[in-house]
Amino acid sequence: MTRTPPQPLPLGQAEIFPADVCPLEEVAAAAPADLAAALGFALDRLAVDDGRPLAFVAPAAWRRERGRPFARGLVQAGGAAASRLIWIAADKEAQALWALEEALKSGAVAGAIGAALAPSFVATRRIDFAARAGGALAVLLRAQPGGDLSAARRRWRIASLPSAAHPFDPQAPGAPRLTAELTRRRDGPPGAWTLEKDDETGRFRVAAGLAGDGVPARRTRRRAA
Amino acid sequence: MTAFRRAEPAAAPPEGQPFALIGREGQRQVLTALNPAARALGLRMGQAHADARAMVPDLIGLPARPDQDRDALRRLALWAERYAPTVATCALFPGQEGLFLDMTGGAHLFGGEAALLAEMRARLAAAGVPARVAMADTLGAAWALARFAPGPEAIAPPGATREALADLPVAALRLQPAAVTLLGRFGLRRIGDLYALPRAGLARRFRGEAGLAVVERLDQALGAAGEAVDPVRPPPVYRAWMVFAEPLLDTAGVDHRLDDLARELARQLDRDGQGARRLTLTAFRVDGRAVGLSAGLSAPAARPAHLTRLLREKGLEHLDLGFGADALMLSADRAEPLAARQGEMTGERAVVAADALAALIDRLQAKLGEDAVRQPVLAESWTPERSERWIRASPEAAAVSVADDDPARPLMLFDPPEPVQTMAELPDGLPAQFVWRRVARKVARAEGPERLSAEWWRPAARPERAPRTRDYYRVEDQDGRRYWLFREGLYGREDAPPAEGEPPREPTWWLHGVFA
Repeated sequence: MTRTPPQPLPLGQAEIFPADVCPLEEVAAAAPADLAAALGFALDRLAVDDGRPLAFVAPAAWRRERGRPFARGLVQAGGAAASRLIWIAADKEAQALWALEEALKSGAVAGAIGAALAPSFVATRRIDFAARAGGALAVLLRAQPGGDLSAARRRWRIASLPSAAHPFDPQAPGAPRLTAELTRRRDGPPGAWTLEKDDETGRFRVAAGLAGDGVPARRTRRRAA
Repeated sequence: MTAFRRAEPAAAPPEGQPFALIGREGQRQVLTALNPAARALGLRMGQAHADARAMVPDLIGLPARPDQDRDALRRLALWAERYAPTVATCALFPGQEGLFLDMTGGAHLFGGEAALLAEMRARLAAAGVPARVAMADTLGAAWALARFAPGPEAIAPPGATREALADLPVAALRLQPAAVTLLGRFGLRRIGDLYALPRAGLARRFRGEAGLAVVERLDQALGAAGEAVDPVRPPPVYRAWMVFAEPLLDTAGVDHRLDDLARELARQLDRDGQGARRLTLTAFRVDGRAVGLSAGLSAPAARPAHLTRLLREKGLEHLDLGFGADALMLSADRAEPLAARQGEMTGERAVVAADALAALIDRLQAKLGEDAVRQPVLAESWTPERSERWIRASPEAAAVSVADDDPARPLMLFDPPEPVQTMAELPDGLPAQFVWRRVARKVARAEGPERLSAEWWRPAARPERAPRTRDYYRVEDQDGRRYWLFREGLYGREDAPPAEGEPPREPTWWLHGVFA
């Protein structure tokens, strides 16, 4: 039931993108309008193919404000695990945290996303334990970065970026890109990477030309939307 | 079988005071139920309220509430399930309502038939329900004895139904008053009088419906004709029982015994290779009511720990024990074979994972509500908002599969689509800018259109709402955010000419989803 972590990249290079996933990570949108990019990144982190489904815990209001999950798109982003997504609507924070913990420690899901939650430090510790107990991965998805304490091993901040050039059509968007900034991390120094969706695998990878050069991705001020 | 009369403790009149319920019969107000004091003063059912008031000026009358009577009878029927799995209500004639209990093979559990009837009556009396009870081979005979036997408890020994009924009045055959009157004119007053008559003659002489009913009812009472009952709820196949000498007063006591009940139920299920799909914990209260707590299971399960956890998550505190409960029943109202499902799985690990998933879904649904846990299924439609449905989660749900060459779809879909205002529009092209949720966004790059024809066969509520062709664009704004926009309608090509004086229906722009 435990997930075999992907082969870690050689250590000692701070700027190497951490492709392995910790049991609990936090993914925050840099601005509310970047939430879709953050969700795409979260699904990518949870794209585990071990036959188990993915759980998505969100308040009922999420559907109205952020749109309803669209299975076809989720599967395109998250692969096999997302193809059997279980959507759990929990309005009260306590219920949502309970559902998240139960899902993780049941061993029945490969991963779980907890959306729009502001858990206390103790609650994040519990989620971390539950994820380890169930051999699952957890991502706390936030609409904007929060500064509060968290047991998440890695805290990401995600911003959309204009996509890569389209190979045939200059007018069309190419491979989607985003900036993944690791604002806090327990297992190494923070960093930032420009990621690009690989057309072949459907997964994000460090954008060509930017990999390994250690230059943090462009940081531009954005209008909140 | 118990005869039941309305018990309304809250509004009960003082003992000995004449009291009646007043109902409507056409234009008249009539007495529909009486207490013994009122009967003793010569009042009878069906009498006009005005006449009754003239005879007994201090008669207390309350409006009859037949719906509440029915509910009360049903509640009592559920309570009576403590004696037998099949309980039916019987309200053929006003004032003669009662319950049928199928005690076949069950009386010995209560120390024999006489002990059972005595216990039943004592419990009902304690709950404020005076009752007459009878036991016989047939429903009809039990009905007759419960209402017309000399004492409040009557037993017709097996095979002795004819003798037991012979002295009862013919009304005990559940006959309409018209038929009783008709029989009376021929001097046929006791059921025994009918035994001697040839059946064919009886049917012939009492032509019409009344005659047929006499023969049919007699056959039913004597067991020559079968009779089916319609139980208040289907009897559960698997049930575990616990009866207490001292009533349980709080849910902590229930909690304490739940594990034993679940083990017993699981043992029964296990013996037959079955798993519960629906589970009910029923508490039988000392005041003659039964309260229940149910939980559904997304896949058959028979593990005691899972069953008890589900009920505990539903919240045992929702069981209103009133003044205490003296019996508990845990039943599997619906059961399905366990093996059939596991046969479809491959390998031990998959079975474990599937079981864990079923258990997880059950517990989430028990706590959050059955609609709170959902899974997508693809539907036969190419209109995006109809192309998938979110159904109640089930561990057997098929995975959503997409083809590699499917066009890109958004992660989140707005349903209904959200309107956007467009600027600098070109006919049949993309706008240079659009406003969504009050923020203007410049279109930097776009791909499209992907044309999805209207599902014209779907009826529209109004012609001006008829579905139109949609042109979808994947749009990226200057900040790299990616949207799914569509224009509904083609310029001047799709709609029927507008009615006189109406402006033509313009194409409109909508935002339908967001991409990563």
